Amino acid sequence: MKDKQFWLVTGIIAFIFLLYWIMGHPYLYEDRIVMLITMFLMGSTLMYNVRYAQMGGEFYLRPIPGLKAVEEAVGRSTEMGRPILYVPGIQDMDQVETVAGVIVLGHVAKMTARYETSLNVPVSRSIVMKAAREACRESYMIEGRPDMFNEDMVHYLTDDQFAYAAGVNGIMVREKPAACMYMGKFYAESLILAETGNSIGAIQIAGTASQAQIPFFVTACDYTLIGEEFFAASAYLSKKPELIGGVRGQDMIKAAVIVTIIFSIIIMTLYDNTGIGFDVSKLLTIR
Amino acid sequence: MIWKRQIPILIVTIVGWITLLGWFIDQPDIQEFVNDDATQWFDILASFAIILGALNLIKLQVQKILYQKPGWIYSVVAVMGFLFAITAGFFVKGVDDSVAQWGAHVTTDGTLFKWMFDYMFSPMSATMFSLLAFFVASASYRAFRIRNFEATLLLVSGIIIMVGRVPIGSVISSWFVMYLIVLSAGIYINVWKKDMNTTFVFVAVGISIVTIAGFMYGWPIDKPGIFYLPAIQEWIYYYPNVAGARSIMIGIGLGIFATSIRYILGIERSYIGE
Amino acid sequence: MSKIQDTFLKIGSIDRRWIFLIIAAVVIVPLIFPVGLPIRPTDTTKNVYDSIEKLPAGSKVLLSVEYSPSTRPENHPMTISILRHLFKNNHKVFITCLWPDGQFMAQDAINQVAKQEFNKTYGVDYVFLGFRPGNEAVVKGIVSNLRKLYTVDVYQKKIDEIPLMNGINNFKDFDFLFSSSAGFPGTIEWVQYASDPTGIPMASGVTSIQVNEVMPYVQAGQMVGVLAGMPGAAEYEALINQKGSATSGMDAQSVAHLVIVLFIILGNVSFFIERNRSKKY
Repeated sequence: MKDKQFWLVTGIIAFIFLLYWIMGHPYLYEDRIVMLITMFLMGSTLMYNVRYAQMGGEFYLRPIPGLKAVEEAVGRSTEMGRPILYVPGIQDMDQVETVAGVIVLGHVAKMTARYETSLNVPVSRSIVMKAAREACRESYMIEGRPDMFNEDMVHYLTDDQFAYAAGVNGIMVREKPAACMYMGKFYAESLILAETGNSIGAIQIAGTASQAQIPFFVTACDYTLIGEEFFAASAYLSKKPELIGGVRGQDMIKAAVIVTIIFSIIIMTLYDNTGIGFDVSKLLTIR
Repeated sequence: MIWKRQIPILIVTIVGWITLLGWFIDQPDIQEFVNDDATQWFDILASFAIILGALNLIKLQVQKILYQKPGWIYSVVAVMGFLFAITAGFFVKGVDDSVAQWGAHVTTDGTLFKWMFDYMFSPMSATMFSLLAFFVASASYRAFRIRNFEATLLLVSGIIIMVGRVPIGSVISSWFVMYLIVLSAGIYINVWKKDMNTTFVFVAVGISIVTIAGFMYGWPIDKPGIFYLPAIQEWIYYYPNVAGARSIMIGIGLGIFATSIRYILGIERSYIGE
Repeated sequence: MSKIQDTFLKIGSIDRRWIFLIIAAVVIVPLIFPVGLPIRPTDTTKNVYDSIEKLPAGSKVLLSVEYSPSTRPENHPMTISILRHLFKNNHKVFITCLWPDGQFMAQDAINQVAKQEFNKTYGVDYVFLGFRPGNEAVVKGIVSNLRKLYTVDVYQKKIDEIPLMNGINNFKDFDFLFSSSAGFPGTIEWVQYASDPTGIPMASGVTSIQVNEVMPYVQAGQMVGVLAGMPGAAEYEALINQKGSATSGMDAQSVAHLVIVLFIILGNVSFFIERNRSKKY
């Protein structure tokens, strides 16, 4: 509440929008105003918590076993002298999960640079290959080990889903990595990868927001980051205050969504049964 | 440095804000950019980027062949496959222009590309997918253990869905399920009370009640509905399953929103290696 | 007694390759010797059938094919059955693909149903628009201006020269959408960018794994129904009274599911025996 700059900027934006609304709000889809206000409130909540964390505020984040296990997995690979296999999903950089996967790859690359463990990152898209290479290169530079970075540690296999799965399986069976990490967007090939990793005795850590694949990873992997935990991974691994603040902001938004759902149920029940109130579904439905 | 840091961040911020706010703005040019141009620009970039990936693939495979690294024979297969696909797609149609034009030749019967798709790509693709059937069996066998209450719930609902979803579930009478429940409860009572008499009385009474009820109602296969596997399966699908799926969807949606806002506001910069 | 327990313990630690072998056998045998189990359509499948059945004759239906050979056993029977139903009721069918592989699948379906079974005329009864790259941009393009996206059909014939394309400018000119989908882009993109914003009714056929993701849209009324995997395809075949590969596959799937349940039960028995023994010692 003490962040004067935040309240000033928020107030200015709200004032400008109010003026724009009063002046007839040209070029605005009126029926989408609820979504616009919601988006503004959600963004403000996130920014408030980010700034609070940046100004020294501390937040408690519950421990996520899967993220603690990442360092253990890297250590295990180092001791066994075997590589780490990192799979950043099978979609392109236009998917947020893939970007989150590349971010986590950056953190894993820092650990592999520190422990001098070899890292193998087969990718399914060319743009992901470039982004992942940059992330790894930067991580190795930060750790002071640019000599250990090799461009071919991130290599392209194929765009096709099952051809990619076959390629990764082949890498697993031939090179027998000690740790396999699956972080990104996956489809049906998830279980094929995870079961093959299980058969070679690797420690497996998965993270995805692909709803249908979460059960397969939970079944076959040692640790799984489910949905938001995966998006929060970058905050956990980097421990940067702005990212941790973002995670808290997310939780506050979720609490607001839960409260909205409960109130909406009460209002809709009253409206349907007694006619009191209004049709909240019309307000919340956006086309 | 400005090219590697400030300009990428500026591009991401500007394009991100336009795409985000574009949905609210009723202006034809912005709508066209947001709906058509932005995604098509990405697809054009991705299409050209395939050349990068293909070159990288060929480079690694050829290196393996030249230095005769372990498994170099497979690299020969990979390179041959790559060249064959390029030839079939761009150079050798296998039929006259009157049968198929370039472009339409990929789906026309009789062309080399269609032959490659039908007799090489399709069987291999289907084979990889069919591995899932085996892996699901071995994963279920390994993972479904009654370790605690949640695991038991998962196991029971999994069995109900697996059996109820297929035709064999609709021929299993609800009365059979009731008998199974009585027997399972009997096992639990035996483990809990460790008294054979109590177990016997419980199971005998349970079986008698079910049998009498069955004779009274004429043993209809799908009644009572609460014990009919397809009906239970549908209920699990429509209610607890959808509730869980929705909550995960909302959580994932919020995660995507938060991550995207971080990029648009320039807070997250790891895509440029920061 | 301890011999029986030892047997169960051995089963509990069985090599996974035996499991693979048994699964292979129980899938192959019913395919060769079919049992013919009865198929009972579920509500979601019936809703799809009823929605198509209620369409006025000559309705314009957009059929979107987005699956590859890997999910052909699940999605292809749905596409075939839907095409049969549509042609039987004399609807006009417009076929598009969001996946490049979908073009091949769609061509096979058209060859089998439109050409061989119903002898339909291309350009009068159906049009094959083909694949365009762009994922959800294609969906948005169809919603805003189809003719800008598709200047030629899959056979490189100009859209303007095809009689059936007269009056078709965007998604709102269609009466119904059916998406046979196996992932991204697919059903969800059609719901989010096409069907829900415009109000054009849609149904979908998806793989069994995707049903979880799609069911909230069915429950919310944004989709009229969904064909859930091979069982859904078999149910639809039963509703249109024309059995196909999905029906014959259901016997194998039924037996395979039962065997997996048996493995799970045996695994748990072994687990309990091992747990009791370790408690004793």
